[in-house]
Amino acid sequence: MLRLFSILLAVVFMCGLFSPVVAAERLRLATTTSTEASGLLAELLPPFEQANDCKVDVIAVGTGKALKLGESGDVDVVLVHARSLEDQFMAHGYGSDRRDVMYNDFVLLGPPHDPAEALGTNDLVEVMSKIANSKVSFISRGDESGTHVRELQLWQAAGLVPQGSWYLEAGRGMGEVIIMANERQGYTLSDRGTYLAFKDKVDLKMVFAGDQRLFNPYGVIMVNPARHPHVKQDLARKFLDFLTSEEGQGLINGFQMAGEQLFYTQ
Amino acid sequence: MEPVVSLKHLLFTRGSFRLSIESLELVPKKVYALTGANGAGKSTLLRIMALLINPQRGVVQFPGITTGDADHLRRQVTYVEQSPYLFQGTVSDNLAFGLKLRGVARQEQIRRISLTLSIVGLEGFEQRKAKELSCGETQRVALARALVFKPDLLLLDEPTANIDVNSRPAFEGLLARLPKYGVTVVFSTHDRFQAQRIGAELLCIRDGMLQAQDTLCLF
Amino acid sequence: MNYLSDSLLAAVVLIFSFNREVQLAVWTSLYTATVAIIVAAVFGVPVGLWLGLKRFRGRRLLITLLNTLMAMPTVVIGLVLFGLFSRQGPLGEFGLLFTPIAMIAGQTVLAIPIVANYVLACVNGADQRVIDTARTLGATQFQASIQLIKEIRFGVMAALIAGFGRVIGEVGVAMMLGGNIRGSTRTMTTAIALETSKGEFVFGLSLGIVLLCVALIVNLFLNMLQQR
Repeated sequence: MLRLFSILLAVVFMCGLFSPVVAAERLRLATTTSTEASGLLAELLPPFEQANDCKVDVIAVGTGKALKLGESGDVDVVLVHARSLEDQFMAHGYGSDRRDVMYNDFVLLGPPHDPAEALGTNDLVEVMSKIANSKVSFISRGDESGTHVRELQLWQAAGLVPQGSWYLEAGRGMGEVIIMANERQGYTLSDRGTYLAFKDKVDLKMVFAGDQRLFNPYGVIMVNPARHPHVKQDLARKFLDFLTSEEGQGLINGFQMAGEQLFYTQ
Repeated sequence: MEPVVSLKHLLFTRGSFRLSIESLELVPKKVYALTGANGAGKSTLLRIMALLINPQRGVVQFPGITTGDADHLRRQVTYVEQSPYLFQGTVSDNLAFGLKLRGVARQEQIRRISLTLSIVGLEGFEQRKAKELSCGETQRVALARALVFKPDLLLLDEPTANIDVNSRPAFEGLLARLPKYGVTVVFSTHDRFQAQRIGAELLCIRDGMLQAQDTLCLF
Repeated sequence: MNYLSDSLLAAVVLIFSFNREVQLAVWTSLYTATVAIIVAAVFGVPVGLWLGLKRFRGRRLLITLLNTLMAMPTVVIGLVLFGLFSRQGPLGEFGLLFTPIAMIAGQTVLAIPIVANYVLACVNGADQRVIDTARTLGATQFQASIQLIKEIRFGVMAALIAGFGRVIGEVGVAMMLGGNIRGSTRTMTTAIALETSKGEFVFGLSLGIVLLCVALIVNLFLNMLQQR
């Protein structure tokens, strides 16, 4: 028994020895799954971490939750894409500095045989109405993410209230929702990056893209140090500066997935 | 001579069972045989003296031993059940248990364990697995485990019940010799003649009372 | 469908490629689960002993409560502790949310009822004479309890193994309290969840196979200890 205990203790001790060396300073970034899962942050963060001798802890959640984490002061910086929520966040004084970082766009995905005949329609409002009228499944994120917020705005623009057995609120991440749409052979709204990542894995095609209302800007916000004194404001400001600097913007423009550029800077 | 243990105005009841002892004093270095019918309260009395259960009323005192709280007294009073439990491990581990609690040095432990095992007739049993012993061997290891730390009072519940008839005389001889080692022994038995063979003083329980020691104990 | 066979192959490749990220995730899983189970043992074993040995009013109610706690979803534990560790919560000033410490705390809370319940079952199943025997040989109540633990050590071991299995395989607490931070709080399970959300099913499943292998090795190791 004693021997067993000492072995366990030794294991714990080893844990301490081998655990990754703690960097001088850690910056906490809450962001959306699209930036983390696409691999953009893996390109973008190391140069910043090296230049400032720090480590950026990425917590990838939906936009809604990311902003909540900022509101409660559990992170230092948020990088999200839902302008209306971001403006609210700033208006309530939760953030001290907000900057535009980049944009990409949303696309509407649907099954290849396109039962709602969305393909070929030029008007977004009409597409939304067609999908609603066809009663073919539409998978909604349903998780207050940036994509979900945008989707609701699109229904509103079309003067529709989506409800009924065809409208499925998944409450899951973008990837899972694309997979659900694929399995149900239904429609869904996705950011272009996640769609590209899943393009080869699913039997879905892009049925509509390119409308002004599908424009998807990302903003970075520094959590207000006046509300949360523990926020690492110097490092956070440096991070904002970096993202909007020539170097940062260059990295964003140069990032490609499957040969396609995913994010654009203004 | 001060008694090892003295009981006064003792009352223990559980359901319809009742045991009442007005006064009992046991003198050191003697062997007592506790007799009585099944359910008369022999085990209960032993367990009370072993401080395992508390009587509703009355006091159990150990004037001849140390003073102090129950945990202190327990170190000098020990009790071996009718079918004793041996701890996992070796015979030696079992005997060492009481010695370790009393802070006996390692070398001294080994010496005393070997000595005590030879007293109970189990020379060289140190490394045997406790769980693989026969009934009789188990009984004797339990006795050795109690003797090894030299208790003042040794309480045995029907110690010969699980020992086969052939080994009984040797075991009885052992009980009779124990006072030589400075131990006071109380054992319960059904067999009045066993008490005589050992030369034990009779304590007889009947109707929940201790019978006068000079009356003939019939049951 | 060659999806499963692909995963198996990928798992083998993954194990022998010594991928740094995978190593870190394995390491984080092992380290947090080990610390959590040790802390859980410190609290859970005495609780199990206490409930098994003492008879008091309300004991049955407590045991029922303990059994119910075993059914508590990990996400609920995560939520409660999230509220505790968040900057808005009572322990907010320590900044523990999204650190391994928060994860370990959650996993400990998860494991304590399991350990306590197993130990309780062992005590109930143990020979009733152990405590009395130890007492008559001069042990205090505490020393007698220690002896009881020695007597039921295989059961206690099984309790710890069961708790460890539950903790290393759960994702709710690790995700909510750890935040799945690469190189810091990303465990095997949260990595699997991430890969799944990215649509990397093969990679996710192969990570799952790695997790199974790790669990197998740990159990073999503990089994070896028991043999001695």
